[in-house]
Amino acid sequence: MELCDIPAYELSLLLRQKQISAEEITRACLERIDAVDGRSGALDSGSLTPEDEQKVHAFITITRESALNQARAVDQKLAAGDDPGLLAGIPFTTKDIFCVRGTPSTAASRILANYTAPYTATPVTRMEAAGAVMLGKVNLDEFTYGSSNESSAFQPAPRNPWNPAHVPGGSSGGSASSVAAGEAALSLGTDTAGSIRQPAAFCGVVGVKPTYGRVSRYGLIAFGSSLDCPGPVARNVVDAALMLQVIAGADPRDSTAANVPVPDYLAQLDGGVKGLRIGLSPDYFRIAFPDPQTGEYREQPLPVDIETPVLRAAEVLASLGAEIVEDVPMPNTRYGIPAYFVISRVEAASNLHRYDGVKYGYRTPQRTGDLTKLYRQTRNEGFGLQPKLRILMGMYVSAAQYSAQYYQRALRVRTLIRRDFEQAFDRSGKYRLDALLTPTTPTTAFKMGAVYGDSVLMQYADQLTVPANHAGIPGLSLPGGLDAERLPVGIQLLGPDFSEDMLLRIGRAYELATQTEDWRKVKPLVLR
Amino acid sequence: MNDYEAVIGLETHIQLNTTTKIFCACKADSWFDPPNTNICPVCTGMPGVLPVLNKAAVEKGVVLASAMHAEIRPLSYFDRKNYFYPDLPKGYQISQYDQSLAFGGYLDLPVPPANGQPAYIRKVSIHKLHLEEDAGKTKNAGNERLIDFNRCGVPLVEMVTGPDLRSADEAAQYLMRLRQLLRWLGVSEADMEKGHLRCDANVSIRPRGAAYLNPKTEIKNVNSIEAVRSAIEKEIERQIREVEAGHRIEAWTLEWDEDAGVLRKMRSKETEADYRYFREPDLLPIRLDDAWKADILKALPELPLVRRQRFMDAYGLPEYDADILTSERNLSNYFESAVKAYGSDPKRVSNYLMNDVLRMLNESSKTADQLRLTPLFLAEIIKLADTGAVNTSTAKSLLQKVEESGKAPAEIVAAEGLAKVSDDSAIRAVCLEVLAESPKEVESYKAGKVTLMGWFVGQVMKKMRGKADPTLARTILEELLA
Ligand SMILES: [Zn+2]
Repeated sequence: MELCDIPAYELSLLLRQKQISAEEITRACLERIDAVDGRSGALDSGSLTPEDEQKVHAFITITRESALNQARAVDQKLAAGDDPGLLAGIPFTTKDIFCVRGTPSTAASRILANYTAPYTATPVTRMEAAGAVMLGKVNLDEFTYGSSNESSAFQPAPRNPWNPAHVPGGSSGGSASSVAAGEAALSLGTDTAGSIRQPAAFCGVVGVKPTYGRVSRYGLIAFGSSLDCPGPVARNVVDAALMLQVIAGADPRDSTAANVPVPDYLAQLDGGVKGLRIGLSPDYFRIAFPDPQTGEYREQPLPVDIETPVLRAAEVLASLGAEIVEDVPMPNTRYGIPAYFVISRVEAASNLHRYDGVKYGYRTPQRTGDLTKLYRQTRNEGFGLQPKLRILMGMYVSAAQYSAQYYQRALRVRTLIRRDFEQAFDRSGKYRLDALLTPTTPTTAFKMGAVYGDSVLMQYADQLTVPANHAGIPGLSLPGGLDAERLPVGIQLLGPDFSEDMLLRIGRAYELATQTEDWRKVKPLVLR
Repeated sequence: MNDYEAVIGLETHIQLNTTTKIFCACKADSWFDPPNTNICPVCTGMPGVLPVLNKAAVEKGVVLASAMHAEIRPLSYFDRKNYFYPDLPKGYQISQYDQSLAFGGYLDLPVPPANGQPAYIRKVSIHKLHLEEDAGKTKNAGNERLIDFNRCGVPLVEMVTGPDLRSADEAAQYLMRLRQLLRWLGVSEADMEKGHLRCDANVSIRPRGAAYLNPKTEIKNVNSIEAVRSAIEKEIERQIREVEAGHRIEAWTLEWDEDAGVLRKMRSKETEADYRYFREPDLLPIRLDDAWKADILKALPELPLVRRQRFMDAYGLPEYDADILTSERNLSNYFESAVKAYGSDPKRVSNYLMNDVLRMLNESSKTADQLRLTPLFLAEIIKLADTGAVNTSTAKSLLQKVEESGKAPAEIVAAEGLAKVSDDSAIRAVCLEVLAESPKEVESYKAGKVTLMGWFVGQVMKKMRGKADPTLARTILEELLA
């Protein structure tokens, strides 16, 4: 096994035993990148070659030199007998929605393509302070607006390492694909409606959407500020726990970051599931959407390939001593997407105001003496289709005459969704769940081009993940098997506020119990 | 004019004098700094930054709200006010909309007598009081537009009055009282010329005694209290002319041109802009629990107008004295301390303050608390004069000497031998000396020019370097010349 495929926690051990060096690990990852990534995403990059279609294209910027320098610094610390930090020498990638001082921080948008951040986002600062080695900035949907990465202004867009004809999911597609392909052990992603969990499910890796406020948003280029959560993408639960340990915690630069102590996630990881109550809800085994013609809600059961791994996971957990609670009602799940449509777009439209061509980023090359024209031209040329759609809808539903009807109503729906969870997790309620077990996504990774452009359908890909964002609760997606096309299927665990330790513990128990199953031995196509 | 009355509301923006900005750690006051020197990623709206609330801004806002008798909300929220402008780097201003820090409130504005009208109190209601961040400044330089972000994120309180003011003079009075209050509370430097206190005025007219409101115009860009007065006067005159000529008043926004002394039309206000307000998701609500509120308000001083009334009631000061002595908080504290140390007759203390100490303050540009002539020393000097230990002119020069040296009055009197000479024989000797040296004057006096007595006393005082008791000198001289 190559170094770049070894779990972070094992690398950490080998490093401390001086069996390997941080530089060797970094070089192994850089070699893997050279082997499988192909050309990095860029503006106006021309049409795809057949070779492009076989590559991962996770990156926008590879920070080769600074990565090697960081790795050497770790080796020096180790040689000097200093504590190099919890993630010493572990290579990671950063979704290019985070500002990192001195690197292009593009949000995968033309409007920020020339923007070099003058400061570093808190989660990245914490990763680097813990000795982790940043290999570069990875691709995403433009401003995170999407579930496939196809909307990136930086093409070629990332592809799914399990089958490059399929999307890696999104918006943290570069994060999930870079980790799945062994280009990095860890990646820092963001989740606004499922943007960590959905690509993690599509790429067969572990993704954690922490409780809102568990990880600081400082330096995260905002999408839906009340929904955005930075979080880890990793290849196993232990690595995810390690990374969360490092990035979680209060931050004086983010007043919405919670002042709640960070537990020792690793200490409790092997606590098992005996006596835990884990719920299943029928509302997470169907997809509900309003009929485009009539507006009536229609329901559709999930494919068997999606349902089966979840039910199997429930059996595994039951066999380990967990109590499975069936038929937990989560009746407001179906309103998650419409409410998300409204709330996220109102926030997004406002968050995008600052990209006006005045201070930084793209400015139209056309000379205009008129301020309004400067704004219009700049934003028209600088933003891609997805930001424009969000601006239009966000402006519309927050207008004074519509706000009560849409925005205020969506906020009420959000409260109802939160209430569903509160009732399910209520310690003295009917269900008293420790966690809810669900599928992560309604489908496995779709083919590139299959859904893109149909924004509404793309959004319904988030139906099972977005409720956690509305409620602010944590969610964990982990590999649960493969479908008939040998594409990964994700299973999701949702828990009450700040129950990441519990979710990781359940995830770890499941992971260990299924370690030797055949599907775990299958490698992504690009590595076969 | 008598057929119409003006209806005026003032919208003020008050820059709070916090050390740092409202949402970042940059220095708030940039008056002496070059453009774009007090800036950081947060206040320049870099991608990914987040605001963090400066508690001092909340505290100063609460002090002001409380002084305006406003209702303070235990839970208030920040909202985004969305609009595009180059000096607004985020494309939205963090402000407060429907659940602001405080609501309601009023100021009982004393309006001084003028043009034969007696003094009266105008109750000015407060419609809105909220916290927000300031925007930057733009200026044109040739073909280019320059932006200075220094002012971005400076904390402001926006305070809007009801349409309660009835004349340009009342508006000016309101601003003077507001400025006095802001400085008194220590929440703002309140310097209009420096933009610490900004004012837009909404003006309409209606037939005297009518209860309805006519369309109003909004006057912007007025940078001094005098300018506010002139601009409103001009606008009232214009509106009357228009109405008399049978025209309608249209809801214009007007700009005051200070140099030309005229109002110019900026734009017609056909529709209200839609700022698409929504809750600022990057900030937590302000939770003002009782403990915090009590902690903030325990330092709330007696308000200037209350103290002014008390000075009249408790010390029997004339309104004029009370007004001046409460014009500034340090001065009024000084006065009270001096009265306390002196022990009697507050008016006598007031006279010393109004005549001498105020001049000293003006000349030195110190505040009363910075004087070396402390209230205790002042009281001591007045007592020295009262007991006749020094004469009045010595007392006045002592004020200056104490201020210059910082020494106690008694110490200076002793060291410089300034004590009044009341010894009969010493004065008698000098009197004889003077009379001997002035035979002509003695002759004139005896011939009936009794007004020369003052001259003789002056000569004696001169010889004794002012220390003689002038009453005693006069008695002796009268005796000798009899
Ligand atoms: Zn700043």
